[in-house]
Amino acid sequence: MKRRSTLAATAVGALAALVISACSSNGSTTASTGGSGGSTASYNAGVSQVVNPSTQKGGTLIFDSHASPDSFDPGNTYYAWVLNFSRLYSMALFTYQSCPGNCGLNLVPDLATDMGTTSSDGKTWTFHIKPNIKYENGSVVQASDVKYAIERQYDRSVMSNGPTYYQALLTDPSYPGPYKDRAKNLMGLTAIDVPDATTLVFHLQAPFPDLPYVLAFPNSAPVPPSADTGSNYQLHPLSTGPYKFQSYQLNKQLTMVPNPEWNPATDPQKKQLASKIIINLNVNQADIDNRLLSGDIDVDAAGVGVGPTAQAKILSNPTYKANADNPLNGFGRFVYIDTKVAPFTNLHCREAVEYAANKTTLQNAWGGPVVGGEIASTVNVPTVVGYQKFDLYEALTKPAGDLTAAKQQLSMCGQPNGFTTNMAYRNDNPQETAAATALQASLAAVGIKLTLKGFPGGSYYTNFAGAPAYVHSHDIGLAAGGWGADWPSGYGFLDALSNGNAIASSGNANIEELNDPVINNLFTKSSTLSGGARNAIWPQVDHQIMTDAGILPEVYQKALLYRPPNLTNAYVQTYYGMYNYVVLGVKS
Amino acid sequence: MIFFIIRRLIMTVFLLLVVSMLTFAIFFLVPRLGGETPYELAAQYVGRTPIPSEIHAVEIKLGLDAPIWLQYGRYVKGIVLGVHYNNGTDVSYCPFPCFGFSFRNDQPVWPQMTSDIPVTVSLALGAAVLWLIGGVAVGVLSALRKGTFFDRLSMGVALAGVSLPVFFTGLIALYLFSYRWSLFPNVHYVGITTNPVQWARNLILPWITLAFLYAALYARITRAGMLETMGEDYIRTARAKGLPERKVILKHGLRATLTPIVTIFGMDLGLLLGGAILTESVFSLPGLGQFTILAIQNHDLPEIMGVVMLAAFFIVIANLIVDILYTVIDPRVRI
Repeated sequence: MKRRSTLAATAVGALAALVISACSSNGSTTASTGGSGGSTASYNAGVSQVVNPSTQKGGTLIFDSHASPDSFDPGNTYYAWVLNFSRLYSMALFTYQSCPGNCGLNLVPDLATDMGTTSSDGKTWTFHIKPNIKYENGSVVQASDVKYAIERQYDRSVMSNGPTYYQALLTDPSYPGPYKDRAKNLMGLTAIDVPDATTLVFHLQAPFPDLPYVLAFPNSAPVPPSADTGSNYQLHPLSTGPYKFQSYQLNKQLTMVPNPEWNPATDPQKKQLASKIIINLNVNQADIDNRLLSGDIDVDAAGVGVGPTAQAKILSNPTYKANADNPLNGFGRFVYIDTKVAPFTNLHCREAVEYAANKTTLQNAWGGPVVGGEIASTVNVPTVVGYQKFDLYEALTKPAGDLTAAKQQLSMCGQPNGFTTNMAYRNDNPQETAAATALQASLAAVGIKLTLKGFPGGSYYTNFAGAPAYVHSHDIGLAAGGWGADWPSGYGFLDALSNGNAIASSGNANIEELNDPVINNLFTKSSTLSGGARNAIWPQVDHQIMTDAGILPEVYQKALLYRPPNLTNAYVQTYYGMYNYVVLGVKS
Repeated sequence: MIFFIIRRLIMTVFLLLVVSMLTFAIFFLVPRLGGETPYELAAQYVGRTPIPSEIHAVEIKLGLDAPIWLQYGRYVKGIVLGVHYNNGTDVSYCPFPCFGFSFRNDQPVWPQMTSDIPVTVSLALGAAVLWLIGGVAVGVLSALRKGTFFDRLSMGVALAGVSLPVFFTGLIALYLFSYRWSLFPNVHYVGITTNPVQWARNLILPWITLAFLYAALYARITRAGMLETMGEDYIRTARAKGLPERKVILKHGLRATLTPIVTIFGMDLGLLLGGAILTESVFSLPGLGQFTILAIQNHDLPEIMGVVMLAAFFIVIANLIVDILYTVIDPRVRI
C-alpha cells in the first residue's frame, strides 16, 4: 500500500525548519526565512529582500558571460549558472522556491503537481505532471517526454556533461540510452513507467529520499523524442519556460524572446517581464565588470562575483556599494588530506596539518573576508541543510594556527621534525595558487615541507587530483579543491565528498579517500530516515570527517555581486548563490 | 606569373600537410609518448565522475582508440572528402573541408571558424590600413625632417608604441574612451552587414590599439629606409633633372623603401588574420584569436588543429601576395 507523501512533504517542511534553526545567516546580514516586501538599493539588500520589486514589462535584459556554457541543452549541463539560467526555457519536475533568504532552499513543484508519493519501502516514487503544459510549438508535454529526457542521460558519449545520478539510483543501470537502444519506441528504460500521459513511476535500487532534488536538475525537463537532435539539441532546445530561443551563435550570443505558449499560472516561480533576453558569451571579465558598473549590461551570468579591480571600486564607492551584494555562494574551499598517502595514513599527521594551517592567510588568498569568504571550521557550508557550527581544530579561535598543537601531533605521528609531501592545485586558478602558496608557508613553520604541483583545471579532477592511481603514484598527500552542493541537503553536499562508496577512479570528489565505516553507515542509515531525523545525520557526518581530519576547510566562499540600478526583482537565490535569473526585469 | 602562382599554390598544399602533421604530432603523439593513454585523454571530455565504461565510450566516439597514424589519416580524409558523424539521433555529413568536430561541444570546427573569420578580418584589415598609412606617412615625414622636433617626437611616440604591450594600451583605451568618457560605450562586434556604422564605431578602439603597435614599427622602418634611400645618387640626379620634390620623394624615394615594408606587412597581416589574440581578448571580439584561446583552454584538439591550419594558410597566402606585389613595386623583380 502506498504511503502518502509523508517522506516528501515532511522532508520539505523539515528542511525549512532546519534551515531556520541550523543555518547561519547567508551573507553578512541575517537572512529572512521568506522574502517579503521589497527594498531600495543598499549593500546586501539583495541577500534578504527583493531589490526594486516591479511587475513592469518590456526592455531587453542583457547578460554577459566570461565563458561559454558547457551546453545550453538542459540535459547536458552541470555549470551552476546554466542550471539557474536554463530555467528560463525549461521546466524541470521541481525547482527552488523563488524568494530571497533561506526559503530559497525550499524545493517546490515546477512541472510536477506535487512532491510525489513513495511506496512503503521507499523504492518506488510516483509523480504527476501538470496537464496541458505546452512547448513553444504548441504541442502538449507528455509524461513520456520526461522519461525520454532522463533516458538521454544514459548515453555519456552524447550527453557527457550533466549529472549522472539516474544511473546510480534507478534500476536498469545498464540501459545504453535511446541513441543506442532505438527499440521500444525509444522508451527502453525499464526503471521508469509511464502508465498514462501525466504519470511517472520511478523504480529505485534503494530508498533515496532526496529523489525530488535530483529531479530539480534541468535534465528532467521534458524533451519530445521527435524534437531531439542529439548533440545538436543545444542549438535550440524546445522551450517549456517563459522564454524561447530566437537565435544562437555558438560561443558568441544567445537571444531569447517570450514564449507565447508559457502559462504563468502553471509556473508561479518564474516571471516573463523582459521583451528580450540576450546573453553575450566569452566576454572579458574586466569588460563585464565595467559594463555592469556603467549600466551597459544587467547581469554577470557566471554569478561568481566581480573581479579584483571592480571589487575595490565597488567597496570604496558608496554609490556602487549600495548596488552590491555579498552572499555566501554555496561553495566550500578545501584542502583534501589523502588518507591513503603516507604519512597521512596516520591520523595525527593529518591533524598536524589542521592545526598548523594559517586560516587567515588562506582566507586572504581567497580574497579576504568580504570577497573571499568566511573562515571555515566545518566541511558542510552554512547554506546547506544540516550545517552545524563546530570547531575541532581552533580554526575560529586561533585562525593563525596553533603551532604548538601541530607539533604535538607531529610527535604523535612519529614525525617530530616534520616531513615532505606533494600538494596538487590548479595552476590556472589564481586564488587556488595563492592559497597553496600560503599553506606551504604556514606548514613550513612546523617542518612540513610542501612541494607544490600545479595542474591545468580542465583535467585536474579527471586525470590528476581526482584520479587516485595518479595521486598514489605521485605521492600527492594534499590537494586543493572546492565543492558546491548539487542540492542543498547534507546528502547532496557530503556524500560525494566523504562516502567510501563514492571513491571513483576518475573525477573522484572523495579526494581524501575516506572510507570510514562510521561515515558510510551514517549515509546508509540516512536512506531509511526522513525529515528532521534524516537531517540530523549530516552534522554527525561532518563531525566525523573532521574527526578523521580528512579535509582542511579553508573558507565558506562568498561573492561580491553587482546589480545595476535598472535591474528589477533582484535578489540572491540562496541555492545558486547568485541572482535568481527567472524573475529579473529591467526598468525601461 | 601564372605558373609561379600555380607552383606556389601546390607548395602551399604540401606546406599545410607538413603543418598538419607537425601539429597533430604535437597534440596527439607527443602526449602519448609521454605516457598519456587514450583513456586518460578521453576522460577529459566526459564531464564529472565518469565510470570507466563511459570513458571508453567517449574514447571510441572521438576515435582516440585508433592508432595515431589512422587518426591522422581520418583527419586528412575528412578535410579532403568530408566525414559522416553520429550526433546521437542521426548521422550528419560534414562536407569538405571538414576539420573534425569539437571534443567539447560536438559541433563541426569549420563553421565555427568561418563565423569568426569576418571579425578577425575586420579587425586586421582596418588596423592594417591605419598602421600602413599612418606608419609610412610618419616615417617619411620624420626622415625628411630629420633632427627636428617632429622627428624626435614621432620617434619617441613610436618607441612607446613598440614598447607598450597591446593588452595595456587596449585596456587604457577602454578605460578612458569607453568606461570613463563614454565616447565608445559598450564596445562589442557588430557585423558590417548588420549595421556598417556600428561595425566601424565599435572597431575604432581596437583598430587604433592594434595599429598603434604596428604603426610605430613601420614608422621606424620607413624612416630608416627613407634616410638611406634619399642619400642615394639617383635621388640627387632626379632633383638635378628638375623633378618636383613630391615626385622625387614618393616615386623614387619611397618606392625603393617599400620593398622591405611590403615584406613585413605580408607577414604581419598573415599572422593577424590567424587571430589577433590579445586585441580580441581585451575587446571581447569573437574572432579567430578568441577561438584559439578557448580551444587551448578547453584542450579541444580538433579546434586547435583547425585554427593552426587556418593560420598557416593565411600566412602562406599573404606571402604569395607579397611576392606578387614585388613585381609591381620593383620591375626588376621577375617571378
